[in-house]
Amino acid sequence: MENGLWEVLGSKGLLKKHEFIRILVQCLYSLGFKNSASCLEIESNISYKSADYEFLEKQVLSGDWDSCVAVLDRIFDNSKDDTRNTALYLVFKQCLLEYLKRGDVSLALNVLRKQAPMLRMGKEKIHRLACDIVYSKEMESGEVDSCLVQGLRKKLLVELEKLIPLPIVIPERRLEHLVETAVMDQIDTCLYHNSWGAVSLYKDHCCGRDQIPSETVQILMAHKNEVWFVQFSNSGKYLATASSDCTAIIWKVLDDNKVELKHTLESHQNPVSFVSWSPDDTKLLTCGNAEVLKLWDVDTGVLRHTFGNNNTGFTVSSCAWFPDSTRLVCGSSDPERGIVMWDTDGNEIKAWRGTRIPKVVDLAVTPDGESMITVFSDKEIRILNLETKVERVISEEQPITSLSISGDGKFFIVNLSCQEIHLWDLAGEWKQPLKFSGHRQSKYVIRSCFGGLDSSFIASGSEDSQVYIWNLKNAKPLEVLSGHSMTVNCVSWNPKNPRMLASASDDQTIRIWGPGKPNKPEN
Amino acid sequence: MDPRQFEHTVVDDNDIHSIVMSYLLHNCFNETADSLASCTGVKQPAIDRDNLERRKQIIHFILERKALKAVELTEQLAQDLLEKNKDLHFDLLCLHFVDRVCAGNCTEALEFAQTRLAPFGKVPKYVEKLEDVMALLAYEDPEKSPMFHLLSSEYRQQVADNLNRTILEHTNHPSYTPMERIIQQVTVVRQYLTEENGKDAFPPFSLKDSLKG
Repeated sequence: MENGLWEVLGSKGLLKKHEFIRILVQCLYSLGFKNSASCLEIESNISYKSADYEFLEKQVLSGDWDSCVAVLDRIFDNSKDDTRNTALYLVFKQCLLEYLKRGDVSLALNVLRKQAPMLRMGKEKIHRLACDIVYSKEMESGEVDSCLVQGLRKKLLVELEKLIPLPIVIPERRLEHLVETAVMDQIDTCLYHNSWGAVSLYKDHCCGRDQIPSETVQILMAHKNEVWFVQFSNSGKYLATASSDCTAIIWKVLDDNKVELKHTLESHQNPVSFVSWSPDDTKLLTCGNAEVLKLWDVDTGVLRHTFGNNNTGFTVSSCAWFPDSTRLVCGSSDPERGIVMWDTDGNEIKAWRGTRIPKVVDLAVTPDGESMITVFSDKEIRILNLETKVERVISEEQPITSLSISGDGKFFIVNLSCQEIHLWDLAGEWKQPLKFSGHRQSKYVIRSCFGGLDSSFIASGSEDSQVYIWNLKNAKPLEVLSGHSMTVNCVSWNPKNPRMLASASDDQTIRIWGPGKPNKPEN
Repeated sequence: MDPRQFEHTVVDDNDIHSIVMSYLLHNCFNETADSLASCTGVKQPAIDRDNLERRKQIIHFILERKALKAVELTEQLAQDLLEKNKDLHFDLLCLHFVDRVCAGNCTEALEFAQTRLAPFGKVPKYVEKLEDVMALLAYEDPEKSPMFHLLSSEYRQQVADNLNRTILEHTNHPSYTPMERIIQQVTVVRQYLTEENGKDAFPPFSLKDSLKG
């Protein structure tokens, strides 16, 4: 090799110069810059194709099978290597095919019986060759012209390239792969990363606060008392809030992300603490700890149904929809009422009652409608597969106040009154949950939610009147958002806009948060 | 089993002659059957002579490595028999292939395989056997290959027996001889008794041992 090509590159001397140049040449070829590629080969005196490979290529394309086999035998030194035997098998197969198509049966049989066994490919491969000459796909086609033969030889080369070891052949698109790996590693450590798409190669990738909601962009004042619940609709175009002023409000999210009031839902006699959007966003359920379950039409704001036949004793603490937007399930804070499944006309479909069903703290249904997760008073989580009736139980050590499922239905989080949020997997493979902390929670029901790109963030309310945001990779908060003046009870991240978050507080307001100013993020 | 217990059972000579006769006719030993008839004076049962003659020829063709001729005759005897017994048809065609390979006529064998045997390769249950048979091509001396049993006369006899039975069944004759049935019966009865009374009470039936007397 020429002087200088044994050199190393990179600040730590980890990269071999001749390898670096070779993958550069490969890259130019794969991008279609043939002239530049061969120019570089000449200037650097490093060619993309190794000498062995060039020789093999010539033999294959000219059908010189004896040389071909000899080269492969030399390249692979271990006859037990299955890659070697597969490569040899492929070459013999092509050779036999060509001889037979020429009508040269005795030559073909000679190759099969005398020459092939000498390469010690293994009995299985020899038997395979015998079968191939009788009924392989290639043998079936009738006449073969030289054009077809060349085509088959080229295909053989492509297959051989996959089998031949380094450094005679290098994996395709090697440079692209190395750069992409580096970029993926950078994205992995980017805690604010919240958008799709290509990233710039000009600097090491690192997102800032401008990627996640971290500044107040709007304050909504319409409730006359503490706001206990907030949730965006599935389409992200509406927002629903519930308050201890006994009303719920439906808000519209405009195109410029401003939020305006659409309907005030008045009918409840007691504070409303929970709402749930139907999967098709046409209906809204409202309920409260000491209040019944009501169904509303989103478009008109009209009350459609009150569940429990106006029996004011049927209080519902939480509810959830099934994917068909016609079946719903609700859990009662009264241990005797249990869990009931209804249809939107008010017919009871199914119920779970009895001693095994204590007070329901919260419940949810997975987006595919297959499982129902229930939090029972006050430390037990039960995951029931509605199809198989198989139930899994997780016992927490501290009281749980709320439950939230991720958008893809694979994970869920629970807020515990010991100031921790626990993340569990629905499939049940984890023995321990992931734990997040930093916020304040001891007296009240505080709710959290998943959010952002691929649900890679969690947001939660807190008793210190701030909103907390975590990246799932880190147990400590990424951002702490100030603005509210009293306990933040609930948060909701817009499922269609990863940069929009809403929070509901005891200070009677709802805050809408948007992208922050692009400062340097705190480490 | 105490042989003295057998003394109380009377076996009719005529019955024995019938059993032997049916065995001979099943296996197409018609000359031997004639001989037995004239020696013992026992009449041969009225059987389909034509059927027997054909079966005899077919079996001989197989044993004489002329499997394709056997197939031809079978088709003449019963047109749809091989269609309804694909497994048997496959075995016969494989046998022809083996015949050609043994005769050293590999080109013809290869052509035959490509046209008549290749279609069976599309059906999963024949693939393994097909691969074994085709692999014979890879050996200059098929006797030295791992599949040498395909060349043996025992294997040939097995296929011939199978074809014989199938023809009998197809032409509404019993496909098993009374002799075979009797031996099968004894074996099965012994098995039941062993299950009921424990292993040492009744050893499994062995024809070899019984013949020793």
